[in-house]
Amino acid sequence: MLLISRLFKSLDKNWLDAIAVTSWGALLLNYWLNGSLSILIHPSYFWLAAFTGFALLIIGSIKAYLLFKYPQVKPSTAGHVSLLPGNWAIGLLLVTAIAGLLINPRVFTSSKAIQGGVTENSAITRSQPQSFRSQVKPEKRSLVDWVRTLSAYPEPDTYSGQQANVSGFVVNSAELGSKYLLLSRFVITCCAADVYPVSLTVKLPADQQYQADTWLAVTGQMVTETISGNRQLILVAKNIKPIETPRNPYEY
Amino acid sequence: MEQLNNAFTLFLSLLVEAIPFLLLGVLLSGLLLFFVDERKLVKLAPKNPILGAFVGSCIGFLLPVCECGNVPVARRLIVQGVPLPVAVGFLLAAPVINPIVIWSTWIAFRDQPEILWLRIIFSLLIATIIGWVFSRQGDVKSLLQPAVALSMAKPLPVEDPEKPTLLRSGNFMLGGGESLEAKMAASLERKPQFSWSERGNMLLDNTMQELRELGGILVLGSALAALIQTFTPRELILGLGQGSVSSVLAMMLLAGLISICSTVDAFFALSFAGAFTSGSLLAFLVFGPMFDLKGIGLLLSVFKPKAIFYLFALAAQLVFLLTLFVNFNVN
Repeated sequence: MLLISRLFKSLDKNWLDAIAVTSWGALLLNYWLNGSLSILIHPSYFWLAAFTGFALLIIGSIKAYLLFKYPQVKPSTAGHVSLLPGNWAIGLLLVTAIAGLLINPRVFTSSKAIQGGVTENSAITRSQPQSFRSQVKPEKRSLVDWVRTLSAYPEPDTYSGQQANVSGFVVNSAELGSKYLLLSRFVITCCAADVYPVSLTVKLPADQQYQADTWLAVTGQMVTETISGNRQLILVAKNIKPIETPRNPYEY
Repeated sequence: MEQLNNAFTLFLSLLVEAIPFLLLGVLLSGLLLFFVDERKLVKLAPKNPILGAFVGSCIGFLLPVCECGNVPVARRLIVQGVPLPVAVGFLLAAPVINPIVIWSTWIAFRDQPEILWLRIIFSLLIATIIGWVFSRQGDVKSLLQPAVALSMAKPLPVEDPEKPTLLRSGNFMLGGGESLEAKMAASLERKPQFSWSERGNMLLDNTMQELRELGGILVLGSALAALIQTFTPRELILGLGQGSVSSVLAMMLLAGLISICSTVDAFFALSFAGAFTSGSLLAFLVFGPMFDLKGIGLLLSVFKPKAIFYLFALAAQLVFLLTLFVNFNVN
Protein backbone atom coordinates (compact mmCIF):
# COMPACT_ATOMS: atom_id res chain seq x y z
CA MET A 1 0.00 0.00 0.00
CA LEU A 2 2.81 2.35 0.98
CA LEU A 3 4.56 1.62 -2.30
CA ILE A 4 1.42 2.40 -4.30
CA SER A 5 0.80 5.65 -2.44
CA ARG A 6 4.45 6.71 -3.02
CA LEU A 7 4.14 5.85 -6.70
CA PHE A 8 0.96 7.95 -6.86
CA LYS A 9 2.69 10.91 -5.25
CA SER A 10 5.75 10.67 -7.48
CA LEU A 11 3.73 10.48 -10.70
CA ASP A 12 2.40 13.66 -12.22
CA LYS A 13 -1.38 13.98 -11.89
CA ASN A 14 -1.72 14.52 -15.63
CA TRP A 15 0.11 11.29 -16.36
CA LEU A 16 -2.17 9.45 -13.94
CA ASP A 17 -5.16 10.86 -15.85
CA ALA A 18 -3.78 9.62 -19.14
CA ILE A 19 -2.94 6.17 -17.74
CA ALA A 20 -6.37 5.76 -16.09
CA VAL A 21 -8.32 6.78 -19.21
CA THR A 22 -6.19 4.52 -21.43
CA SER A 23 -6.63 1.62 -18.98
CA TRP A 24 -10.38 1.99 -19.10
CA GLY A 25 -10.22 1.94 -22.91
CA ALA A 26 -8.12 -1.24 -22.72
CA LEU A 27 -10.52 -2.80 -20.22
CA LEU A 28 -13.61 -2.19 -22.36
CA LEU A 29 -11.90 -3.49 -25.50
CA ASN A 30 -10.59 -6.50 -23.58
CA TYR A 31 -14.11 -7.39 -22.38
CA TRP A 32 -15.44 -6.90 -25.90
CA LEU A 33 -12.80 -9.15 -27.46
CA ASN A 34 -12.79 -11.93 -24.83
CA GLY A 35 -16.58 -12.19 -24.67
CA SER A 36 -16.96 -11.03 -21.06
CA LEU A 37 -19.31 -8.25 -22.19
CA SER A 38 -22.07 -10.86 -22.54
CA ILE A 39 -21.89 -11.44 -18.78
CA LEU A 40 -22.12 -7.71 -18.05
CA ILE A 41 -24.55 -6.07 -20.48
CA HIS A 42 -27.30 -6.76 -23.03
CA PRO A 43 -25.89 -7.54 -26.51
CA SER A 44 -27.67 -4.46 -27.97
CA TYR A 45 -25.11 -2.26 -26.21
CA PHE A 46 -21.91 -4.13 -27.06
CA TRP A 47 -21.18 -1.57 -29.77
CA LEU A 48 -21.45 1.30 -27.27
CA ALA A 49 -18.90 -0.32 -24.97
CA ALA A 50 -16.56 -1.14 -27.87
CA PHE A 51 -16.87 2.37 -29.33
CA THR A 52 -16.15 3.89 -25.91
CA GLY A 53 -13.18 1.56 -25.48
CA PHE A 54 -11.68 2.85 -28.73
CA ALA A 55 -12.52 6.47 -27.86
CA LEU A 56 -10.95 6.29 -24.38
CA LEU A 57 -7.87 4.57 -25.77
CA ILE A 58 -7.47 7.35 -28.36
CA ILE A 59 -8.15 10.19 -25.87
CA GLY A 60 -5.73 8.72 -23.30
CA SER A 61 -3.04 8.12 -25.94
CA ILE A 62 -3.32 11.66 -27.34
CA LYS A 63 -3.03 13.04 -23.81
CA ALA A 64 0.03 10.88 -23.10
CA TYR A 65 1.62 11.92 -26.42
CA LEU A 66 1.08 15.62 -25.65
CA LEU A 67 2.48 15.23 -22.13
CA PHE A 68 5.50 13.47 -23.55
CA LYS A 69 6.05 16.00 -26.33
CA TYR A 70 5.29 19.18 -24.38
CA PRO A 71 6.09 18.28 -20.75
CA GLN A 72 6.25 21.94 -19.73
CA VAL A 73 2.67 22.81 -20.78
CA LYS A 74 0.28 22.30 -17.88
CA PRO A 75 -3.48 22.17 -18.51
CA SER A 76 -5.57 24.96 -17.05
CA THR A 77 -7.25 23.73 -13.88
CA ALA A 78 -8.17 27.14 -12.53
CA GLY A 79 -11.35 27.07 -10.55
CA HIS A 80 -12.15 23.48 -11.41
CA VAL A 81 -14.23 22.06 -8.62
CA SER A 82 -12.86 18.83 -7.20
CA LEU A 83 -15.45 16.56 -5.69
CA LEU A 84 -13.08 14.04 -4.16
CA PRO A 85 -9.95 14.91 -2.20
CA GLY A 86 -6.50 14.80 -3.81
CA ASN A 87 -5.89 11.98 -6.23
CA TRP A 88 -8.80 9.91 -4.94
CA ALA A 89 -10.93 10.15 -8.06
CA ILE A 90 -8.14 9.09 -10.39
CA GLY A 91 -6.98 6.44 -7.91
CA LEU A 92 -10.46 4.88 -7.84
CA LEU A 93 -10.67 4.80 -11.63
CA LEU A 94 -7.21 3.34 -12.01
CA VAL A 95 -7.58 0.67 -9.31
CA THR A 96 -10.96 -0.40 -10.74
CA ALA A 97 -9.57 -0.65 -14.27
CA ILE A 98 -6.61 -2.75 -13.07
CA ALA A 99 -8.88 -4.99 -10.95
CA GLY A 100 -11.14 -5.43 -13.98
CA LEU A 101 -8.18 -6.38 -16.17
CA LEU A 102 -6.89 -8.91 -13.61
CA ILE A 103 -10.19 -10.48 -12.52
CA ASN A 104 -12.65 -11.61 -15.16
CA PRO A 105 -16.31 -11.14 -14.24
CA ARG A 106 -18.10 -14.41 -13.47
CA VAL A 107 -21.60 -15.57 -14.22
CA PHE A 108 -24.08 -14.96 -11.39
CA THR A 109 -24.70 -17.93 -9.12
CA SER A 110 -27.77 -19.51 -7.55
CA SER A 111 -27.38 -17.42 -4.38
CA LYS A 112 -28.14 -14.36 -6.54
CA ALA A 113 -31.21 -16.14 -7.92
CA ILE A 114 -32.43 -16.90 -4.38
CA GLN A 115 -31.76 -13.29 -3.36
CA GLY A 116 -33.84 -12.30 -6.41
CA GLY A 117 -36.76 -14.37 -5.11
CA VAL A 118 -36.64 -17.28 -7.54
CA THR A 119 -37.98 -19.71 -4.94
CA GLU A 120 -40.97 -17.51 -4.16
CA ASN A 121 -42.43 -16.74 -7.55
CA SER A 122 -40.81 -18.88 -10.15
CA ALA A 123 -43.34 -18.24 -12.89
CA ILE A 124 -43.36 -14.45 -13.06
CA THR A 125 -41.65 -12.32 -15.68
CA ARG A 126 -41.30 -8.65 -15.01
CA SER A 127 -42.00 -7.39 -18.51
CA GLN A 128 -45.49 -7.66 -19.90
CA PRO A 129 -45.53 -10.27 -22.69
CA GLN A 130 -45.75 -8.35 -25.96
CA SER A 131 -46.92 -11.32 -27.97
CA PHE A 132 -48.10 -14.76 -27.15
CA ARG A 133 -46.15 -17.22 -29.21
CA SER A 134 -48.55 -20.15 -29.24
CA GLN A 135 -47.28 -21.05 -32.69
CA VAL A 136 -43.93 -22.12 -31.28
CA LYS A 137 -43.76 -25.89 -30.86
CA PRO A 138 -43.58 -26.75 -27.14
CA GLU A 139 -40.24 -28.57 -27.49
CA LYS A 140 -38.74 -25.48 -29.17
CA ARG A 141 -39.64 -23.16 -26.29
CA SER A 142 -36.75 -21.89 -24.21
CA LEU A 143 -37.05 -21.74 -20.43
CA VAL A 144 -38.05 -18.07 -20.58
CA ASP A 145 -40.59 -18.81 -23.35
CA TRP A 146 -42.20 -21.35 -21.03
CA VAL A 147 -42.31 -18.93 -18.11
CA ARG A 148 -43.77 -16.16 -20.30
CA THR A 149 -46.36 -18.50 -21.77
CA LEU A 150 -47.33 -19.55 -18.27
CA SER A 151 -47.57 -15.91 -17.17
CA ALA A 152 -49.99 -15.19 -19.98
CA TYR A 153 -52.11 -18.36 -19.58
CA PRO A 154 -51.45 -19.79 -16.11
CA GLU A 155 -53.77 -22.83 -16.23
CA PRO A 156 -51.31 -25.75 -15.94
CA ASP A 157 -53.63 -28.33 -17.51
CA THR A 158 -53.32 -26.45 -20.86
CA TYR A 159 -49.76 -27.71 -21.14
CA SER A 160 -50.02 -31.16 -19.55
CA GLY A 161 -48.50 -33.81 -21.77
CA GLN A 162 -46.45 -31.35 -23.86
CA GLN A 163 -42.80 -32.08 -24.50
CA ALA A 164 -40.15 -29.69 -23.24
CA ASN A 165 -36.48 -29.23 -24.00
CA VAL A 166 -34.85 -26.52 -21.88
CA SER A 167 -31.53 -25.57 -20.34
CA GLY A 168 -30.53 -23.57 -17.28
CA PHE A 169 -28.68 -23.73 -13.99
CA VAL A 170 -29.70 -25.57 -10.82
CA VAL A 171 -31.21 -23.85 -7.80
CA ASN A 172 -32.04 -26.23 -4.97
CA SER A 173 -34.99 -25.34 -2.79
CA ALA A 174 -35.50 -26.66 0.73
CA GLU A 175 -39.27 -26.27 0.33
CA LEU A 176 -39.42 -28.51 -2.72
CA GLY A 177 -37.20 -31.22 -1.26
CA SER A 178 -34.61 -33.38 -2.94
CA LYS A 179 -36.94 -34.86 -5.60
CA TYR A 180 -37.20 -31.52 -7.35
CA LEU A 181 -34.96 -28.68 -8.46
CA LEU A 182 -35.56 -25.26 -9.97
CA LEU A 183 -34.02 -25.01 -13.43
CA SER A 184 -33.30 -21.29 -13.68
CA ARG A 185 -32.16 -18.55 -16.00
CA PHE A 186 -31.52 -14.86 -15.53
CA VAL A 187 -33.34 -12.42 -17.83
CA ILE A 188 -31.42 -9.26 -18.74
CA THR A 189 -32.91 -6.00 -20.03
CA CYS A 190 -30.00 -3.58 -19.92
CA CYS A 191 -27.10 -4.68 -17.76
CA ALA A 192 -26.33 -7.25 -15.07
CA ALA A 193 -27.66 -4.82 -12.46
CA ASP A 194 -31.22 -5.45 -13.60
CA VAL A 195 -31.18 -9.23 -14.12
CA TYR A 196 -33.95 -11.19 -12.53
CA PRO A 197 -34.33 -14.95 -12.26
CA VAL A 198 -37.05 -17.15 -13.78
CA SER A 199 -37.35 -20.87 -13.31
CA LEU A 200 -39.25 -24.08 -14.01
CA THR A 201 -39.72 -26.78 -11.41
CA VAL A 202 -38.13 -30.01 -12.59
CA LYS A 203 -38.96 -33.43 -11.10
CA LEU A 204 -35.83 -35.55 -11.06
CA PRO A 205 -35.67 -39.25 -11.92
CA ALA A 206 -35.18 -41.41 -8.81
CA ASP A 207 -31.71 -41.29 -7.22
CA GLN A 208 -30.50 -38.30 -9.20
CA GLN A 209 -29.32 -35.11 -7.55
CA TYR A 210 -27.45 -32.12 -8.86
CA GLN A 211 -25.29 -29.50 -7.20
CA ALA A 212 -26.52 -25.92 -7.20
CA ASP A 213 -25.15 -23.88 -10.15
CA THR A 214 -24.64 -26.93 -12.39
CA TRP A 215 -25.82 -26.16 -15.91
CA LEU A 216 -28.20 -28.79 -17.29
CA ALA A 217 -30.07 -29.54 -20.53
CA VAL A 218 -33.32 -31.23 -19.57
CA THR A 219 -35.85 -32.98 -21.80
CA GLY A 220 -39.10 -34.36 -20.51
CA GLN A 221 -42.84 -33.93 -20.29
CA MET A 222 -44.98 -31.27 -18.66
CA VAL A 223 -47.31 -32.54 -15.92
CA THR A 224 -49.66 -30.83 -13.47
CA GLU A 225 -48.83 -31.60 -9.82
CA THR A 226 -49.77 -30.23 -6.46
CA ILE A 227 -46.77 -29.32 -4.34
CA SER A 228 -47.29 -27.86 -0.83
CA GLY A 229 -50.92 -27.12 -1.70
CA ASN A 230 -50.06 -25.29 -4.97
CA ARG A 231 -51.31 -26.73 -8.25
CA GLN A 232 -48.54 -26.06 -10.70
CA LEU A 233 -46.89 -27.14 -13.92
CA ILE A 234 -43.72 -29.16 -13.50
CA LEU A 235 -41.32 -30.73 -15.94
CA VAL A 236 -40.85 -34.45 -15.35
CA ALA A 237 -37.33 -35.05 -16.59
CA LYS A 238 -36.63 -38.03 -18.83
CA ASN A 239 -33.14 -37.11 -19.85
CA ILE A 240 -30.75 -34.79 -18.02
CA LYS A 241 -27.38 -33.85 -19.47
CA PRO A 242 -24.86 -31.57 -17.70
CA ILE A 243 -23.63 -28.86 -20.10
CA GLU A 244 -20.92 -26.19 -20.13
CA THR A 245 -21.83 -22.73 -18.83
CA PRO A 246 -22.98 -20.91 -22.00
CA ARG A 247 -20.85 -17.98 -23.19
CA ASN A 248 -23.95 -15.87 -22.99
CA PRO A 249 -25.75 -17.03 -19.85
CA TYR A 250 -28.78 -14.71 -20.07
CA GLU A 251 -32.08 -14.83 -21.89
CA TYR A 252 -34.07 -11.82 -23.05
CA MET B 1 -16.77 -15.48 -1.71
CA GLU B 2 -19.57 -16.35 -4.09
CA GLN B 3 -21.45 -13.23 -3.05
CA LEU B 4 -18.32 -11.14 -3.49
CA ASN B 5 -18.07 -12.45 -7.06
CA ASN B 6 -21.70 -11.56 -7.68
CA ALA B 7 -21.10 -8.07 -6.29
CA PHE B 8 -18.00 -7.60 -8.47
CA THR B 9 -19.88 -8.64 -11.62
CA LEU B 10 -22.68 -6.24 -10.75
CA PHE B 11 -20.25 -3.41 -10.03
CA LEU B 12 -18.44 -3.89 -13.36
CA SER B 13 -21.67 -4.18 -15.30
CA LEU B 14 -22.90 -0.84 -13.95
CA LEU B 15 -19.62 0.81 -14.91
CA VAL B 16 -19.38 -0.77 -18.38
CA GLU B 17 -22.95 0.32 -19.16
CA ALA B 18 -22.56 3.81 -17.69
CA ILE B 19 -19.13 4.94 -18.87
CA PRO B 20 -20.12 5.33 -22.55
CA PHE B 21 -22.85 7.77 -21.49
CA LEU B 22 -20.52 9.63 -19.17
CA LEU B 23 -18.04 10.10 -22.03
CA LEU B 24 -20.78 11.19 -24.45
CA GLY B 25 -22.17 13.67 -21.92
CA VAL B 26 -18.76 15.17 -21.22
CA LEU B 27 -17.84 15.42 -24.93
CA LEU B 28 -21.19 16.90 -25.97
CA SER B 29 -21.25 19.54 -23.25
CA GLY B 30 -17.66 20.51 -24.09
CA LEU B 31 -18.41 20.72 -27.82
CA LEU B 32 -21.66 22.67 -27.50
CA LEU B 33 -19.92 25.35 -25.48
CA PHE B 34 -18.02 26.13 -28.69
CA PHE B 35 -21.13 26.50 -30.78
CA VAL B 36 -23.97 27.88 -28.67
CA ASP B 37 -23.90 31.60 -28.04
CA GLU B 38 -25.37 32.14 -24.60
CA ARG B 39 -25.82 35.86 -25.07
CA LYS B 40 -28.35 35.18 -27.83
CA LEU B 41 -30.19 32.88 -25.44
CA VAL B 42 -30.18 35.62 -22.81
CA LYS B 43 -31.79 38.05 -25.26
CA LEU B 44 -34.47 35.54 -26.24
CA ALA B 45 -35.43 34.66 -22.64
CA PRO B 46 -39.13 35.44 -22.09
CA LYS B 47 -40.14 37.97 -19.42
CA ASN B 48 -43.33 36.13 -18.40
CA PRO B 49 -42.41 34.22 -15.20
CA ILE B 50 -44.14 30.90 -15.97
CA LEU B 51 -43.09 30.84 -19.62
CA GLY B 52 -39.62 31.98 -18.59
CA ALA B 53 -39.24 29.20 -16.02
CA PHE B 54 -40.43 26.65 -18.60
CA VAL B 55 -38.06 27.93 -21.28
CA GLY B 56 -35.24 27.96 -18.73
CA SER B 57 -36.01 24.33 -17.92
CA CYS B 58 -35.71 23.41 -21.58
CA ILE B 59 -32.41 25.21 -22.19
CA GLY B 60 -30.67 22.04 -21.03
CA PHE B 61 -31.18 20.76 -24.56
CA LEU B 62 -28.97 23.53 -25.94
CA LEU B 63 -26.49 23.68 -23.08
CA PRO B 64 -26.36 20.09 -21.89
CA VAL B 65 -24.74 20.01 -18.50
CA CYS B 66 -25.22 17.58 -15.67
CA GLU B 67 -25.67 18.80 -12.11
CA CYS B 68 -21.95 19.36 -11.71
CA GLY B 69 -21.87 22.00 -14.44
CA ASN B 70 -25.23 23.68 -14.20
CA VAL B 71 -24.54 25.95 -11.20
CA PRO B 72 -21.73 27.95 -12.86
CA VAL B 73 -23.83 28.27 -16.03
CA ALA B 74 -26.90 29.41 -14.03
CA ARG B 75 -24.75 31.96 -12.22
CA ARG B 76 -23.45 33.27 -15.52
CA LEU B 77 -27.01 33.51 -16.88
CA ILE B 78 -28.12 35.53 -13.84
CA VAL B 79 -25.14 37.86 -14.10
CA GLN B 80 -25.86 38.37 -17.78
CA GLY B 81 -29.33 39.59 -16.87
CA VAL B 82 -31.57 36.60 -17.45
CA PRO B 83 -34.81 36.83 -15.40
CA LEU B 84 -34.59 34.77 -12.19
CA PRO B 85 -37.35 32.25 -13.11
CA VAL B 86 -35.40 31.32 -16.26
CA ALA B 87 -32.22 30.72 -14.25
CA VAL B 88 -34.02 28.74 -11.53
CA GLY B 89 -35.81 26.62 -14.15
CA PHE B 90 -32.47 25.93 -15.79
CA LEU B 91 -30.79 25.13 -12.48
CA LEU B 92 -33.37 22.51 -11.54
CA ALA B 93 -34.28 20.89 -14.85
CA ALA B 94 -31.19 21.18 -17.09
CA PRO B 95 -29.51 18.07 -15.66
CA VAL B 96 -32.49 15.98 -16.80
CA ILE B 97 -33.70 17.78 -19.95
CA ASN B 98 -30.64 16.86 -21.91
CA PRO B 99 -30.32 14.44 -24.84
CA ILE B 100 -27.76 12.11 -23.25
CA VAL B 101 -29.70 11.82 -19.98
CA ILE B 102 -32.92 11.09 -21.88
CA TRP B 103 -31.17 8.45 -23.99
CA SER B 104 -29.56 6.70 -21.01
CA THR B 105 -32.85 6.71 -19.07
CA TRP B 106 -34.64 5.24 -22.06
CA ILE B 107 -32.05 2.47 -22.38
CA ALA B 108 -32.18 1.67 -18.68
CA PHE B 109 -35.99 1.61 -18.49
CA ARG B 110 -37.01 0.23 -21.89
CA ASP B 111 -39.46 -2.06 -20.13
CA GLN B 112 -41.07 0.81 -18.23
CA PRO B 113 -41.16 3.75 -20.65
CA GLU B 114 -43.44 5.62 -18.24
CA ILE B 115 -40.40 6.16 -16.01
CA LEU B 116 -38.72 8.20 -18.76
CA TRP B 117 -41.83 10.25 -19.60
CA LEU B 118 -42.67 10.95 -15.98
CA ARG B 119 -39.04 11.85 -15.23
CA ILE B 120 -39.16 14.52 -17.95
CA ILE B 121 -42.65 15.75 -17.09
CA PHE B 122 -42.03 15.95 -13.32
CA SER B 123 -38.67 17.69 -13.77
CA LEU B 124 -40.20 20.30 -16.07
CA LEU B 125 -43.26 20.74 -13.86
CA ILE B 126 -41.30 21.15 -10.61
CA ALA B 127 -38.70 23.46 -12.17
CA THR B 128 -41.44 25.63 -13.69
CA ILE B 129 -43.44 25.82 -10.45
CA ILE B 130 -40.38 26.74 -8.36
CA GLY B 131 -39.22 29.26 -10.99
CA TRP B 132 -42.65 30.86 -10.85
CA VAL B 133 -42.66 30.88 -7.01
CA PHE B 134 -39.27 32.63 -7.03
CA SER B 135 -40.59 35.22 -9.48
CA ARG B 136 -43.14 36.32 -6.83
CA GLN B 137 -40.33 37.77 -4.76
CA GLY B 138 -40.39 41.46 -5.64
CA ASP B 139 -36.83 42.26 -4.73
CA VAL B 140 -34.75 39.61 -6.48
CA LYS B 141 -31.54 40.88 -4.91
CA SER B 142 -32.66 39.77 -1.44
CA LEU B 143 -32.32 36.18 -2.64
CA LEU B 144 -28.91 36.57 -4.24
CA GLN B 145 -25.42 36.86 -2.83
CA PRO B 146 -24.29 40.50 -2.69
CA ALA B 147 -21.55 39.96 -5.31
CA VAL B 148 -24.04 38.54 -7.82
CA ALA B 149 -26.66 41.20 -7.04
CA LEU B 150 -24.05 43.92 -7.47
CA SER B 151 -22.85 42.66 -10.81
CA MET B 152 -26.46 42.54 -12.03
CA ALA B 153 -26.86 46.23 -11.30
CA LYS B 154 -23.78 47.27 -13.24
CA PRO B 155 -23.61 47.25 -16.99
CA LEU B 156 -22.00 44.02 -18.04
CA PRO B 157 -18.42 43.99 -19.17
CA VAL B 158 -18.28 43.36 -22.87
CA GLU B 159 -16.89 39.95 -23.68
CA ASP B 160 -14.96 39.47 -26.83
CA PRO B 161 -17.51 38.03 -29.26
CA GLU B 162 -14.71 36.13 -30.98
CA LYS B 163 -13.66 34.47 -27.77
CA PRO B 164 -14.83 30.83 -27.66
CA THR B 165 -17.62 30.29 -25.15
CA LEU B 166 -15.52 27.65 -23.43
CA LEU B 167 -13.18 30.38 -22.27
CA ARG B 168 -15.74 32.82 -20.99
CA SER B 169 -15.98 33.29 -17.32
CA GLY B 170 -18.02 30.93 -15.20
CA ASN B 171 -18.04 27.76 -17.24
CA PHE B 172 -16.67 24.33 -16.29
CA MET B 173 -13.09 25.27 -16.83
CA LEU B 174 -12.95 28.74 -15.44
CA GLY B 175 -16.00 28.74 -13.19
CA GLY B 176 -16.25 27.65 -9.62
CA GLY B 177 -13.41 28.61 -7.37
CA GLU B 178 -12.42 32.17 -8.13
CA SER B 179 -14.45 35.17 -7.05
CA LEU B 180 -16.93 36.76 -9.36
CA GLU B 181 -14.98 39.99 -9.41
CA ALA B 182 -11.82 38.19 -10.44
CA LYS B 183 -13.68 36.56 -13.28
CA MET B 184 -15.12 39.87 -14.38
CA ALA B 185 -11.64 41.32 -14.46
CA ALA B 186 -10.43 38.29 -16.38
CA SER B 187 -13.22 38.62 -18.89
CA LEU B 188 -12.31 42.24 -19.57
CA GLU B 189 -8.83 41.22 -20.43
CA ARG B 190 -8.53 40.78 -24.15
CA LYS B 191 -7.10 37.48 -25.09
CA PRO B 192 -5.72 36.48 -28.47
CA GLN B 193 -8.00 34.40 -30.62
CA PHE B 194 -7.53 30.69 -30.20
CA SER B 195 -6.65 28.37 -33.02
CA TRP B 196 -8.45 25.09 -33.62
CA SER B 197 -5.55 23.12 -32.15
CA GLU B 198 -5.70 25.21 -28.98
CA ARG B 199 -9.44 24.68 -28.78
CA GLY B 200 -8.84 20.97 -29.25
CA ASN B 201 -6.35 21.04 -26.41
CA MET B 202 -8.80 22.81 -24.14
CA LEU B 203 -11.52 20.34 -25.02
CA LEU B 204 -9.12 17.48 -24.25
CA ASP B 205 -8.16 18.94 -20.86
CA ASN B 206 -11.78 19.59 -20.02
CA THR B 207 -12.74 16.03 -21.01
CA MET B 208 -9.96 14.52 -18.89
CA GLN B 209 -10.92 16.59 -15.84
CA GLU B 210 -14.61 15.81 -16.12
CA LEU B 211 -13.96 12.09 -16.71
CA ARG B 212 -11.72 11.96 -13.68
CA GLU B 213 -14.08 13.71 -11.29
CA LEU B 214 -17.36 12.23 -12.50
CA GLY B 215 -15.79 8.81 -13.11
CA GLY B 216 -14.49 8.67 -9.54
CA ILE B 217 -17.96 9.38 -8.17
CA LEU B 218 -19.45 6.83 -10.57
CA VAL B 219 -17.05 4.15 -9.24
CA LEU B 220 -18.12 4.91 -5.66
CA GLY B 221 -21.83 4.96 -6.57
CA SER B 222 -21.61 1.68 -8.47
CA ALA B 223 -19.74 0.01 -5.60
CA LEU B 224 -22.41 1.15 -3.17
CA ALA B 225 -25.25 -0.08 -5.42
CA ALA B 226 -23.54 -3.46 -5.86
CA LEU B 227 -22.94 -3.86 -2.13
CA ILE B 228 -26.50 -2.87 -1.19
CA GLN B 229 -27.98 -5.20 -3.80
CA THR B 230 -25.80 -8.16 -2.86
CA PHE B 231 -25.45 -7.96 0.90
CA THR B 232 -28.63 -6.35 2.21
CA PRO B 233 -31.13 -8.99 3.36
CA ARG B 234 -33.96 -9.40 0.88
CA GLU B 235 -36.60 -8.91 3.57
CA LEU B 236 -35.16 -5.52 4.53
CA ILE B 237 -34.97 -4.29 0.92
CA LEU B 238 -38.50 -5.46 0.14
CA GLY B 239 -39.86 -4.11 3.43
CA LEU B 240 -38.45 -0.68 2.64
CA GLY B 241 -38.93 -0.79 -1.12
CA GLN B 242 -42.51 -1.98 -1.30
CA GLY B 243 -43.99 0.60 1.08
CA SER B 244 -45.46 3.50 -0.93
CA VAL B 245 -44.18 6.16 1.45
CA SER B 246 -41.07 4.48 2.88
CA SER B 247 -39.71 3.64 -0.58
CA VAL B 248 -40.03 7.25 -1.79
CA LEU B 249 -38.39 8.63 1.36
CA ALA B 250 -35.55 6.07 1.19
CA MET B 251 -34.81 6.83 -2.45
CA MET B 252 -34.93 10.61 -1.90
CA LEU B 253 -32.47 10.24 0.96
CA LEU B 254 -30.23 8.09 -1.23
CA ALA B 255 -30.49 10.67 -4.03
CA GLY B 256 -29.37 13.40 -1.65
CA LEU B 257 -26.43 11.43 -0.32
CA ILE B 258 -25.19 10.05 -3.62
CA SER B 259 -23.78 12.56 -6.04
CA ILE B 260 -23.97 10.26 -9.04
CA CYS B 261 -24.04 12.17 -12.34
CA SER B 262 -27.46 12.49 -13.98
CA THR B 263 -26.21 11.06 -17.29
CA VAL B 264 -25.76 7.69 -15.58
CA ASP B 265 -28.03 7.75 -12.53
CA ALA B 266 -30.70 5.79 -14.44
CA PHE B 267 -28.48 2.70 -14.30
CA PHE B 268 -28.02 3.13 -10.57
CA ALA B 269 -31.80 3.37 -10.13
CA LEU B 270 -32.25 0.36 -12.39
CA SER B 271 -30.38 -1.84 -9.93
CA PHE B 272 -33.21 -1.15 -7.45
CA ALA B 273 -36.00 -1.66 -10.00
CA GLY B 274 -36.94 -5.17 -8.89
CA ALA B 275 -37.47 -4.31 -5.25
CA PHE B 276 -38.56 -0.65 -5.16
CA THR B 277 -41.80 0.99 -6.26
CA SER B 278 -41.86 2.92 -9.56
CA GLY B 279 -42.69 6.12 -7.67
CA SER B 280 -39.57 5.80 -5.56
CA LEU B 281 -37.36 5.21 -8.62
CA LEU B 282 -38.85 8.38 -10.10
CA ALA B 283 -38.21 10.24 -6.85
CA PHE B 284 -34.54 9.26 -7.16
CA LEU B 285 -34.37 10.24 -10.83
CA VAL B 286 -36.10 13.61 -10.38
CA PHE B 287 -34.77 14.73 -6.99
CA GLY B 288 -31.19 13.46 -7.44
CA PRO B 289 -30.25 15.87 -10.23
CA MET B 290 -31.91 18.79 -8.41
CA PHE B 291 -30.32 18.27 -5.03
CA ASP B 292 -26.76 17.34 -4.36
CA LEU B 293 -24.85 17.78 -1.13
CA LYS B 294 -21.75 18.71 -3.07
CA GLY B 295 -23.68 21.29 -5.10
CA ILE B 296 -24.65 23.37 -2.06
CA GLY B 297 -21.19 24.91 -1.81
CA LEU B 298 -21.44 26.00 -5.41
CA LEU B 299 -24.99 27.29 -4.98
CA LEU B 300 -23.87 29.45 -2.09
CA SER B 301 -21.87 31.44 -4.61
CA VAL B 302 -25.17 32.47 -6.25
CA PHE B 303 -27.97 32.41 -3.66
CA LYS B 304 -28.26 33.34 -0.01
CA PRO B 305 -28.69 30.32 2.32
CA LYS B 306 -32.36 31.19 2.92
CA ALA B 307 -33.11 31.02 -0.82
CA ILE B 308 -31.31 27.68 -1.15
CA PHE B 309 -33.34 26.29 1.73
CA TYR B 310 -36.62 27.37 0.07
CA LEU B 311 -35.45 26.00 -3.27
CA PHE B 312 -34.75 22.51 -1.92
CA ALA B 313 -37.64 22.41 0.56
CA LEU B 314 -40.04 23.16 -2.29
CA ALA B 315 -38.35 20.70 -4.62
CA ALA B 316 -38.38 17.92 -2.00
CA GLN B 317 -42.06 18.43 -1.19
CA LEU B 318 -43.14 18.51 -4.82
CA VAL B 319 -41.10 15.40 -5.69
CA PHE B 320 -42.54 13.60 -2.66
CA LEU B 321 -46.15 14.47 -3.50
CA LEU B 322 -45.92 13.73 -7.22
CA THR B 323 -44.14 10.40 -6.83
CA LEU B 324 -46.47 9.37 -4.02
CA PHE B 325 -49.33 10.08 -6.43
CA VAL B 326 -47.66 7.71 -8.91
CA ASN B 327 -47.36 5.00 -6.26
CA PHE B 328 -50.99 5.25 -5.28
CA ASN B 329 -52.58 5.76 -8.67
CA VAL B 330 -50.43 4.56 -11.51
CA ASN B 331 -49.18 1.18 -10.32
